Parts: sequence; structure tokens; C-alpha cells
Amino acid sequence: MTTAAALPAEDTRTARENRWLRFTLRRSGRLLASLWVLVTAAFLMMHLVPGDPVRAAMGPTAPAAVVEARRESLGLNDPIWQQYLDYLQGLFTGDLGTSIGSQLPVAETIAQRLPATAALAVLAFLVAVIIAIPTGIAIAVATRRGRGRRLELGFTSSSVFISTIPDFLLGVFLVWVFGVSLGWLPVAGRGGPESYILPVIALAVGPAAILARIVRVEMLGVLETDFVRTARAKRLPLWRIYLSHALPNAVTASLTLAGLMLSSLVVGTVLVESVFAWPGLGSTIVSSIQLKDYPLVQGTVLVYGVGVLVVNTIVDLVLATLDPRTTVAEH
Amino acid sequence: MNILTRILRTPLGIAAVVMLTLVVATAIFAPILWGEEAAAVDTDNMLAGPSLEHPIGTDQLGRDLLLRVLVATRLSVTLAVLATLVAVSAGLILGVAPLLLGRHIGRGVTWLVGVAVAFPGLLLALSFAVIFGSGWLGAVLAIGLAGAPSFARLCQTLIAGVASRDFVAAARIGGVGRFRVLTRHVLPNIGEPLIVNATIGAGGALLAFAGLSFIGLGVQPPDYDWGRLMMEGLLGIYVNPLAALAPGMAVVIAGLSFNLVGEAAARSLGIQVGGFTSKVRKAASKPVTAPAAVVAADAADNDDVVLDVRDLRVSFPGPAGDVRPVRGVSFSVRRGEAVGIVGESGSGKSVTALSIAQLVESPGVVEAKALSFLGEDLVHGDTARHRKLLGTSLAMVFQDPMTSFNPTKRMGAQLAEVATEHQGLSRKEALARAIDRLDAVRITDPAQRAKQYPHEFSGGMRQRAMIGMGLMGAPALIIADEPTTALDVTVQQQVLDLLEAIRERDDVALLLISHDVSVVAEVCDRVLVMYAGRIVEDLPAADLATAAKHPYTRALLAAVPDMDTHLHLPLATIAGRPVDPAQLPEGCAYAARCPLADARCRAVDPHLATDEDGDRVACWRAGEPMPLGMPQVRTGVETNETEGVLV
Amino acid sequence: MSELRFDDVTVRFGAGRTATTAVDGVSLTIPDGEVVGLVGESGSGKSTLARAAVGLAPITSGRILLDGAPIAPRRGYRPLQMVFQDPYSSLDPRMSIGDSIAEIIPRGLSRAARRDEVARLLELVHLDPTHARAYPGHLSGGMRQRVALARALAGRPEVLVADEITSALDVSIQGSVLNLVRELQAELGLSMLFISHNLAVVRYVASRVAVMYRGRIVEEGPTLQILEDPQHEYTRNLLAAIPGRAKTPTLI
Repeated sequence: MTTAAALPAEDTRTARENRWLRFTLRRSGRLLASLWVLVTAAFLMMHLVPGDPVRAAMGPTAPAAVVEARRESLGLNDPIWQQYLDYLQGLFTGDLGTSIGSQLPVAETIAQRLPATAALAVLAFLVAVIIAIPTGIAIAVATRRGRGRRLELGFTSSSVFISTIPDFLLGVFLVWVFGVSLGWLPVAGRGGPESYILPVIALAVGPAAILARIVRVEMLGVLETDFVRTARAKRLPLWRIYLSHALPNAVTASLTLAGLMLSSLVVGTVLVESVFAWPGLGSTIVSSIQLKDYPLVQGTVLVYGVGVLVVNTIVDLVLATLDPRTTVAEH
Repeated sequence: MNILTRILRTPLGIAAVVMLTLVVATAIFAPILWGEEAAAVDTDNMLAGPSLEHPIGTDQLGRDLLLRVLVATRLSVTLAVLATLVAVSAGLILGVAPLLLGRHIGRGVTWLVGVAVAFPGLLLALSFAVIFGSGWLGAVLAIGLAGAPSFARLCQTLIAGVASRDFVAAARIGGVGRFRVLTRHVLPNIGEPLIVNATIGAGGALLAFAGLSFIGLGVQPPDYDWGRLMMEGLLGIYVNPLAALAPGMAVVIAGLSFNLVGEAAARSLGIQVGGFTSKVRKAASKPVTAPAAVVAADAADNDDVVLDVRDLRVSFPGPAGDVRPVRGVSFSVRRGEAVGIVGESGSGKSVTALSIAQLVESPGVVEAKALSFLGEDLVHGDTARHRKLLGTSLAMVFQDPMTSFNPTKRMGAQLAEVATEHQGLSRKEALARAIDRLDAVRITDPAQRAKQYPHEFSGGMRQRAMIGMGLMGAPALIIADEPTTALDVTVQQQVLDLLEAIRERDDVALLLISHDVSVVAEVCDRVLVMYAGRIVEDLPAADLATAAKHPYTRALLAAVPDMDTHLHLPLATIAGRPVDPAQLPEGCAYAARCPLADARCRAVDPHLATDEDGDRVACWRAGEPMPLGMPQVRTGVETNETEGVLV
Repeated sequence: MSELRFDDVTVRFGAGRTATTAVDGVSLTIPDGEVVGLVGESGSGKSTLARAAVGLAPITSGRILLDGAPIAPRRGYRPLQMVFQDPYSSLDPRMSIGDSIAEIIPRGLSRAARRDEVARLLELVHLDPTHARAYPGHLSGGMRQRVALARALAGRPEVLVADEITSALDVSIQGSVLNLVRELQAELGLSMLFISHNLAVVRYVASRVAVMYRGRIVEEGPTLQILEDPQHEYTRNLLAAIPGRAKTPTLI
């Protein structure tokens, strides 16, 4: 038996602004804490590698003196806490270290390659969302209450099947079909708009299939809630019930999972870029791991991590705008 | 074994298990059967395309690719399973830690897991791969630890769900130690969902492994798994695409079999989304002329009949045949009259209310010989006109105020919708009317409150707002389904007073459904007592205490303790349990629990008979005095010795 | 059985500005062998007080004394036991009811002695001892509450706390559980803290009653006296709100 206490009907505008302010502060605090964990983890990553990273990068034949000099120049002989502080300081000034292989500043390499990856990720994100949400809703409406059994079966099986295909495999497949066999689309490198098509499809299809399933399930759940029953009791027309009552709640319910989906899409660029020889951060991270160029690895991991955190924060903000309860919820 | 048999009952489950068995069999036997052949180097036949001898072709050393793909199954699957084990174990440890390590460390662990979970597995795997180096062991650890945070989060959620249940608290209060609580209570209850997720996780690990090997980080030569084969095949994609695609297909098939088994298990363990739609159908057995006669008769009878229900029946399909929660309910409600429906769980009272309001959806089927509201026949007739009629003249109040409003819309807007939709008011006018209605239901500061969201209202306020929403039109009938059950008793009084005031002012009829006899007795003019989907008695509320005739009604009244219950006597009880709607007996449904039941009662179902006062009762022995030792109707005659009947 | 005393107990959750005080300086005595009813509406703090007594909620200040001494829970034995409201959540669905009960029986008994004790307890609550091997899923709500009672008694408690134990049961079943409570109280001389929002039920079961409102006890005393002549306004409101009080004439 619950009778929740009513929130006072004070001057609602300032109350609302206050709540938003507090929510934004809380969320920013979380973001900063997560950033700190990311940064520290990236730092530790390099220092947990067994053996000598410089030697590993330069190979067994490099003279010891050169290796030692490089170590010194990278500051690897300082005590660890000193390295950590230098590292943090470097981050604030935009210095992400120097690549062992190319001798170029990591930040420069990243700045050069980031736009390609960002373009790919954003496009794929948009495509996934634009396909998944309307599809999920439409299928939910069509398969409610045991209707459209075959449609449901078809949809679920195709969705499961599609989402099991790894993005890089799909990429290979698309390369073969459209590049090798049909020769319709370019399959390597970044060029004009048509070069985006295949990589974006490869990236977006899997997440879109999963997202559509999530949206469908959440929509079905929302359609069974008490407040949708109330809307039906008010004898509102169906379209109004779906769009005005069900949809906002289904979207907010799917949003958290969607956020996870979309951040994994961002990271999916790593493998897809390898398939399409896309000049982005994904290829960078792969080659730098293979070449054991740890400062570069560290830098790119950091950038990817930040990208993920940004996606999560945006999702939370959108969620807060759509669902007023989240601003009040305590953690 | 329980899960397995349940999975095998669905076609999906069977297909999934078959697939998985094939994959596992290949993993075990392929290296034995074809291991040597797959390693056979043939320098004459390097990078050959598909042929009869080599269906997929050969690699750069002339080795048969099909065999290599098959043999690679063992390594690919084994490593994926190993990685999953690492992930689940690490996840379990992290998930269980808060329980064992105390509040502060536990909170720290939970927070850290929360941060880690935000990062996609591949990113974590790459980072770990850097630390652990390439090679199968490094990759297993990398993928395993990368999967640990989401398993930890899953464990935490599952454990929190179990730990919040009372039996865990009871064990702790009983002196059972923390560790023992974990092993005996918590883990067994999270086992199933965990295994299901682990199976799906194995599928994910398989894909992750393929990815790592594809970029050269996973398995190193001379070992090979599907990812490695894909990488090698990619180099020759222009010449022999199958070399890259075939191992990819193997990845998909194996991943799919893991995922499908997991999904099938989840489905057989999980809840089904029950459907309910509404199709009010005429009872099939009526002859053609009779309907007109029935409706006409009623219309001539009473012009101020607001609601007329004849032989209402509702059925839902169930696992063992149809379930009939309502089996022939007939009654009417006049203008301004308050009718109460009282009954326990399983009596069908709520379904009756919902079906009258046309809110029961398929696969539920609602049938009635007649169902008319304000003279409008709801069984046939124009649904568009019905919509408007029902939207303005019928008000519904549901049981749970916490979930009956849309949490993402402001209250004022939710009320105003009724007016913009059915009464043609503009947005502004509708909102003004909404504020006026909020005021009418005694909500203070209505203009401000209208801008608030439902979660800012208390439970009692929400119920009043619900009533206010019903008052947006000019309702002739309010149907209230357990409107105060979820409210405190003082708040309940306010809501009931409000309903009373509305009734008096606007001559609105009320159909009140409740399990609480005292509420119904206080508010209503007439009371319908329902049992097992039927009305068993229909009498004026004033006569409840003194002149109830049905044994169930009397037992119900006697069983409820009130402020005047005799303190020195055991409370009266009703033997047996409320009847299960899926298993209804032949004769009177109450016979099993009735002290007056005889052979006729058990064999023949009594019909609802009207007596000279207009009251109705469905009992062969209505009004007969109870045997000695049974609860008597309280007419001032108390027996000295009353034995309570124990359940 | 013994006397339980709450001595100026306060329970506060959270910290700083967002702290809520669920129980505010409550002093209450449950005399040896008596049933004390605790009534209040939601948010009154009655459940929190009960949970504090059994150790499920931390006490911010004040003391809870059993026979004058603070409660010292030993491994395997706690002198206060509790029966919960929800019959569907209070038993582990994966353990037979015999095992659930046996788990609470204090250490040191042989297997056979334990089995006998379980049978004895089941009979005490009027359940067939052969039900010991049944699982909770097969039992009705009323039967589960009896098992919960048997389990609580298995711990040989000094004081029993009953938190809304009949609120979730069907009306026709409530009576049997309440009858059982009365019977056990008479037979075993139980000291009991009986929490309920339903005044009629408390009147039937408890010899003394305390009324809680917003974390404080506003009125306390012998049940009949409080119900016939309430002093505090909130008590009067509660009584007036009972359906049927104000309007319909008393039944008899």
C-alpha cells in the first residue's frame, strides 16, 4: 500500500530549472569520474605490458644505446607516479605522447585520422536509428496480441541472424558482392560519397537489427501498461494512442540499451576500417597494436573511450528531456 | 535437465539444439577425422579456386580450405567457451563481492563496474590484448575480462532482485551466515538466467575471437581458427572470395547456434506476453426475433436505465482449454444509482467491469445477449459514435493510481485530451476546463498542478485527478475498479467522499468494484456479490448485515473482522480456497466450501432467481439457517459456542 | 518470552539535505507475553521500526533493549524473528518448506531431532507434517503465511514481529491466520509486535496499541481504551475513516 508524497506545486518554473541544474551537475560529475577512470586505465595499460615496450617496438636488432635513448626521451625511466602526472599534464595541454614508430606526435596523427572515423560512425549511427525505430514500432503494432505470428517469427529470425553476422564479415561479403563481382561500388579507401555506402552499411546493419528488436519489445511492453489502458478508456483514436502516449515511453525505455548499441557501433569502426582500408583511427589502432607502438595505441584507445562516453552522455541527456522522472531520480 | 526438456518443446528450441550439437560434434571429431589431411601441403595446387576436389579451394600452401574450416571448429569453439568461462567467473566474483565485502568496498566495486560497463567489449578486449599480448591465451584473457563487466552487472542486478526478497531477509534474521545465504539462497535463484546469458555470451565471445584473430591479435600460426582463416582469405578475395567467406559462414553458424539455444532457453523460462483484445459478440444461440424483443422490452421498462447488461460472458484461451472468468452476469444500473460488485480474487468482478467498458482485448472474447449504455446498443452499432459516447459519458477509475497516468505527459494535458478529442474544444479551452475539473476534485492550486507530471502527485491526488478526467465530459456512469485499494484509509475516505459528492450533485450513477465489503456497504445502494464468475446475490446494501441469504455472502460478512467483532470468539473463516476459474465444478461453484451444500447443490448449478422484493439469489438453500456451530447472520442472536473453521 | 523496549529510537536514511527520518524518537514497550499493535498509514515508519528491531535497518540513535539489555545476536541465534507481508516472497521457491524451517532451527540438533522439530512446528500451525517436502509453489497464500510463522517460531524467539501479515491475503483466509496468531499467543505466551494498517484486525489481536504518524508515536495504550476514547486528533481521523463507522449503524 503506497501513497507517494506529492511534490509541492511551488513555482514550477524555478523548481524545474533547479532540478535540471542539479541533474546536469550530477551527470557532469559522473562524466568526469568516468573520464578519470578511462585516462588512468589507458595509462596503466601501457605500463602493464610485460617486458620493455620500446625494445618490443624497435625490434631485437636495434642497438641498446638507441633503445635506451628512446626510453629516456619518452620519460620511461622516471618513477611511475611522475610519469602519471606528466601524462595527465600532457592531456590537459593536448600532448598525447609521441609515436615510437613514426616519431610524430600522437595527437597529430589522431587529429589527421579522426575525421574519417567520425564521419563513418555518425553516418552509420543515423542510418541505424532511422531504420530501426520506425521498423520496430511498425512490427510491434502489427504483431500485438498474438496477431501476425508469421511476421513476428520472420522478423525475429532475420534480426537474430543479421545480428550474428559480425560487421567485418558483412564488410567482406559486401566487398565481394558489390566490389569484386558487380563492381558497382568502391571498396577501398575514402573518396566520394559512394565510397561511404558499403562501410556504413556494414557498420549499421547489425546494430540496426538489434535496435529494431529492442524497440519492438519495449513498444509491446508499453502497449500493455495501465496508462495506455487509460488512454483507450478515454477513447482516443489509435494513432494518437500510439504516437502521443506509447511512442515517447517506448523510446525512453529503449534508449539505454540503444546507447550501448551505438557505442559499440563506434568501436565497430576498428574492424570495418580494416576491411575497407579506410584511413581512420580504426586502422591506426590495429596497426599500432601490431607494431607495438604503445603511445599511439594509448592515444587512440583514449579517443575511442571518450567517444563512447560522449555517446552515453548524449543518450542520458536525451532521456532526461523526454522522461521527466529521471531528473528527480536519486542514484 | 529441466531447461533442456523445456527448450526441446518448441520448434525453435529443437532447431537450435540440433545446430549446436552438430557444431560441437564437428569440434570434437573433425580434427580426429581430417586433421592430417587438412595439414597436407600441396605445392602444386596453391591458391586454387573451388573445384570438385577442393570445394572451397586451397590456401597459399595448397591445403584444402574446407577441411581447414572444419578442423578449425575445435579451436574456435573451445577458445570461445574458455573466454566465456573467464567472463562469467570474473563477473560472478565482481557481482558477488558487494554482498561479502561489506558496504563501502562493495559500493566501490559496483561503481567501477558501472563505469566499465559503458565501454564496448571490443575496446576493452583490444586494451587487454595489448597487455596480454597476442596468442590464444592472451586473447582468451582479453575477451574474457572484457566480458566480465557486463556479467558483473547482470549478476548484480539478479542478486539485487533476489536479495530484496523477504526470504533472504528471513534467513539473515534467522541467524544464517552471509556466505551460507549466498550459496543456499541467492546463487540457486540466479542460476538459470545466468546460464542462459552465458550461452548467449559464448556466441558473442566466438564473434569477438573471430574479430581479434582477423586483425592478427588472436590465434597465431601454426594454430588457426576461423578468424585467422578469414584474415588469410581476405588477401585473396579478388581471386577466391570463398576463402574468406566460408570461415565467416562457419562463425555465423556456430554463433547462431549458441545464441538460439540461449534465446530458446530464455523463452521457455521467461514470461509470455499475454494478449487481450476486445470483440463484443452476440451470443450465438439467440433466434433472430428475440434480440429486438429483449432490447425493446428493456427500453420500455426504464427510461432512466443507464447501463443494462444481460448474460455477459468473457473467456480467455488458456493452456488447458478456455478459462471463463465471467459466466453469465446480468444486471442494470439506473441513473444516480450506486451499485457495488463485491468478491474475492477469481470472482471475475474486475473483468466484468473492464468488459463493460470495452477494454478487454483479444484473445479475450466478450459476449453478451445485450449490453447497452444510455440506450445505445454496444454490441452492434456504430463504433465511431460509441467512441464519442463512451469518451464523454462514461468515466473509468482504475485500481493503481501510480501507473494509470502517462509519466511523460503533464497532467493538465492528459485531462485536456478528452475535451479536444470528443468535445471539439481548442487546446486552450480544454486546458482551462481541465484546471476547472482538477479544482472540482479538490486538488489545491490546480493551475500549477496541471503543469506538473504524474510522479509529482501523491496516490490519492492521482485518483482524484483520474476522477476529474472522467468529469471532463458529463458522465452518466462512473465505473470504479478497486479505486481505493492501493490507498491509505484516510485518503480512501477522501476519495469516497468525493465520489459521493459528485453523485449527489450531478446524479451520476456509480458501479463500484471492490473486495472490501465495508467500502461497498458504505457507498452503494445495491450490492452484487460475485463468486466464480457469477452473481450469487443481489440485494440492497442496507440489508447486507441483516438479510443476506446466500451462504457465501453471509460467510464473507462474518469473516471480516470489524470494530464490533466479538473478541472472545475465533474469527469465522471460509473453508477451502477461492475457486480456480480454470477448473469449475459441475454444480454450484461454492458447494465445496458451503456448510449447507447437499447432493443437489453439488450436481445442479442454481440459477439466479428473483424474489418478491426484487432481490436475487442463486442458491437452492437460500436463507436457510446455518447448522449449529457455523457463522450466523448477525441479527443479535449469538450462539455461545462458535467453532471457527480452519483452512 | 521477554520484554522488548524501544528507547528513543531514531532511524534516518541518507545524509545531509536529502536525509529522511523514518523513525523519530520512538519509545515503546512490548511487555512480556503481550501483543502490542502498531498502526499507521504508509510513511508512518512502522515497518522501518520493525525492521530496525530485527536488525534489517540501522539505528541512527537510541537503543533497543530485550529484558533491559541490548540485543546481542549470536551466530545462529537471534532472539527476534519476523513474519513478512508478502506470502509469495517470504519463502525460497527452491527450497522445500521443511528445509526452509529447518534452516532456522538452532544448531546442535541431530538430523532426526531436526526433522521432528519441523514436524512439531508444522503441527503447531495446523499444517500436515507431510507437507514438509512440498515446495512453496504448491501452497496457497494462507498456508505460506503459516509456514512463515512456523519458520519464525523455529528460531525459538523471545519476541515475534509480524509486519502486515494478513494484508495480502484474501478475506476468507485472513481469519484463519489471525485465529492462529491468537492461539499461539495463548499457548506459547508470545511477546509480539503486530503491525497493521487495519484497526479492526489490531483490535482483535492486540491488548495494547500504539499509533504512529510520520515517524512518531502519537498515542499509546490499552487497545479498547484507545479505540473507544482516542485522545489524539490523528487517531480520531483514523477511526472516522474506517468505512461504515460514520454512517451505517453498528452491526449487531
